[in-house]
Amino acid sequence: MSARNAAPGTSTHESFLRHGNFRWAKTAGGIALFALVGYLFFRVPPRPYGGTWFGYTLGSIGAGLIVWLTLLGIRKRRINPGNWSLKAWTSAHVYLGLALVVVATLHSGFHFGLNVHTLAYALTLLVVLSGVFGVAVYATLPKALAASREELTQPQMIDALRAIDRQLDEAAQPLSHDDAEWVVVSLAEQPLKDGLRARLAGAPRRSPTRVALAMLGERDRDGPRQRVAALLARRLTQLERIRHQQRLRALLEVWLYIHVPATVALLAALSAHVISEFYYW
Amino acid sequence: MAFRLSQIDFTADGRRIERAREVAANELTIGRDSACDIHLADLAVEPRHVGLREVGGKLEITALGTLGFTLDGASRSEALVDPASGGELRLGAARIGIGRADDGTVLLRIEASSGASAPTDPLEDKRGFSLASVLPGRRLAGWVMALAILLGFLAFPVVSHLTRAPQGHVMGDKSWNPGPLSRGHHQLAGRCESCHVRPFEAVKNETCSGCHKQIHDHAAPARLASARADAGPGEAALWGIAHLFGKQGPGACVDCHVEHKGGTGSPAESQALCADCHVGLKNRLPDTKLGDAGDFGTLHPELLVSVVTNADSGAHARLPASQHPREDNGLSFSHKVHLDARGGVARMAMELGSGAGYGKPLGCANCHHQADDGVRFTKLDMAKDCEACHSLAYDRVGTTVRKLRHGDVAQMFADLSVAGPRHPVVTGRQRPGAYADGQPYAAHFATPMPSPGAAALGKNGICGECHTATIRNGHPAVRPVFEPKRYYQNGWFDHSAHKDSKCEDCHAARTSNSAADVLIPPLANCRQCHLGETAPASSNKVPSTCAMCHVYHESALPPPGRKAARPKA
Repeated sequence: MSARNAAPGTSTHESFLRHGNFRWAKTAGGIALFALVGYLFFRVPPRPYGGTWFGYTLGSIGAGLIVWLTLLGIRKRRINPGNWSLKAWTSAHVYLGLALVVVATLHSGFHFGLNVHTLAYALTLLVVLSGVFGVAVYATLPKALAASREELTQPQMIDALRAIDRQLDEAAQPLSHDDAEWVVVSLAEQPLKDGLRARLAGAPRRSPTRVALAMLGERDRDGPRQRVAALLARRLTQLERIRHQQRLRALLEVWLYIHVPATVALLAALSAHVISEFYYW
Repeated sequence: MAFRLSQIDFTADGRRIERAREVAANELTIGRDSACDIHLADLAVEPRHVGLREVGGKLEITALGTLGFTLDGASRSEALVDPASGGELRLGAARIGIGRADDGTVLLRIEASSGASAPTDPLEDKRGFSLASVLPGRRLAGWVMALAILLGFLAFPVVSHLTRAPQGHVMGDKSWNPGPLSRGHHQLAGRCESCHVRPFEAVKNETCSGCHKQIHDHAAPARLASARADAGPGEAALWGIAHLFGKQGPGACVDCHVEHKGGTGSPAESQALCADCHVGLKNRLPDTKLGDAGDFGTLHPELLVSVVTNADSGAHARLPASQHPREDNGLSFSHKVHLDARGGVARMAMELGSGAGYGKPLGCANCHHQADDGVRFTKLDMAKDCEACHSLAYDRVGTTVRKLRHGDVAQMFADLSVAGPRHPVVTGRQRPGAYADGQPYAAHFATPMPSPGAAALGKNGICGECHTATIRNGHPAVRPVFEPKRYYQNGWFDHSAHKDSKCEDCHAARTSNSAADVLIPPLANCRQCHLGETAPASSNKVPSTCAMCHVYHESALPPPGRKAARPKA
């Protein structure tokens, strides 16, 4: 989750994915292999499921993994140095999370149904899949995010937009009411007010500012309207830049809106799964 | 006539500045046009938006363009306002308060705010890029879901379980059901508390036997425990953990009958389940009579056939099938004679013709009839199976043939005693003197011969052909006849599963001259087709688990016709 601090691999920097020469990838692979080999060889009659001794072993490993993986949410908030650097922790989080899919699936013995046990399994998959998406976007998007900023910070982009807006407001004063209406419509287009879907979609093809520019730019080539049209064109460019940034930010963040709530829900479902299992023992 | 205009502005640090000026005119215009009396630099305002005029002490407000204005929250295109009572006029972002100054002049307080250039917080802007500005909090969503799951899937069933009435139904525990119950327990679906009686307590044998009262143990629990092979350290550790959690076993009902997996609820037919105990059983249970068994193809004791060794006393014994066991079933019979295709029996069968159900030399099916379930054969019936040749007719009266009643010796004696003519040797003449009837030496002289009943029971008599005469309770009788229903006491054999084989493949009837021959084949005969569970496909043998012939819970003979008790092959 805190992997946003880790840049993708470069020659001087080791990313969390490659941390310690893939130490955690190997550990996780070992756990998955143990689960798989055990599943295939320790065939406890009548057939594999979570209630055999090996099933309970996998269940215990899986529950331990889930709790430990969740602790990243606490660990990342504590700024302390040590052997367990946040990078190491994040690396382990990613790979052990993947191993959890193998462990949980084999624990289930491929018995699924409409019950709290399968709910816990489904939430596990949801959390891991959203995490895989997160790793994928962290590995690719920060570069694009930095490249498209053009030396501007995000608040500076907004400031620039506001400056254009003020000039537009002033420049449009001499316009007739009908023409001014287009400027008002354009000024009403504020990217920060965009919702989730608009942000993920990026710059729309037909934005109010683009329409306003088309309406005012065609009328005549000089006078106040021309000045307004020039400002609208600048506004449009700025809007697109902001929206591109917003889209990248949204992609970087949106998986967390699944990952984190589903994790909390998973802890609850896991508790219900374990307690109910022993309650009706 | 004059208006007093009061312009209110705010400095960057929020300080309020009020500038007042007087306009001496009867009418005022408000709009974006700088020529207006009140100039509002707001694109939402028309160049000439409204006009104000004082009429008889009141203020008349008229929209000059197509847009109206908002007066005290309501949209209007014209209005009359008493300045003494006041009002608020809204044009775009500007608010104009209408009132009357102390000296009676109409006072207009203009508060303009420019929408586009409000000062902002850069941190706020930065946050605006993040999804946090448009989505509800992640943790909130998580907590809501977690709470719903804990309440619905944990608290609700637990509370329902703890607070239910005795024998009451637990609600909400359906979500705990990990899978469908076995077919036999189908009616218990949704009644989890039937088996899961107390919280955090494993399902106990006692709960199972609450309903399954007829199921008996495979052996006495103590013997079962000694018979079980010593668990390795790993398995012992596992059972240690299981016992910590209150599990019964090994050998508890639920150890084999795993529930919530659908199906029959019976364990898989793995010979390893039996071999656990039955290999090396003698070492652990020295007094056992059972031979070791672990694989039908390689390790299985000779089949024991249960036979009557004395028809008079009914004594039984279980003898190895390979040692030519003999039985005393009370009959005299030769399969060889009856099955000989060139013998007199065959000849007679042909003469009887197909109309009578014969017509060919005798086969097994002429006398032995498969029962409806196909597993075994029906009891032999003298009238149906023998009488076509072995007639019990003894007399004819007109067209009526009189027959003996099979199975009733006393009746036979009575019937035969009045049947035949017993004429005196000499008729029509009196014997002389003291030998005459009524005289001391009178006597009936006739050919000396046994009674017809006794003759019938004799070795060559109609009964003695098959039966052996004896005296029971001082009366003539025949020895009791035993026709065993099953020869295997612990094994299960299904003839219908072997319908592709011929009878003589297993039963050496054609060479048997005596009814005492037990025509049950030895184990070696079975192994011609059957090997153990692990029989390789290349051997062309039927891989046979223990459960193909044996049932764990039923060591005694199953009730008649109980085909369902046979384990599925």
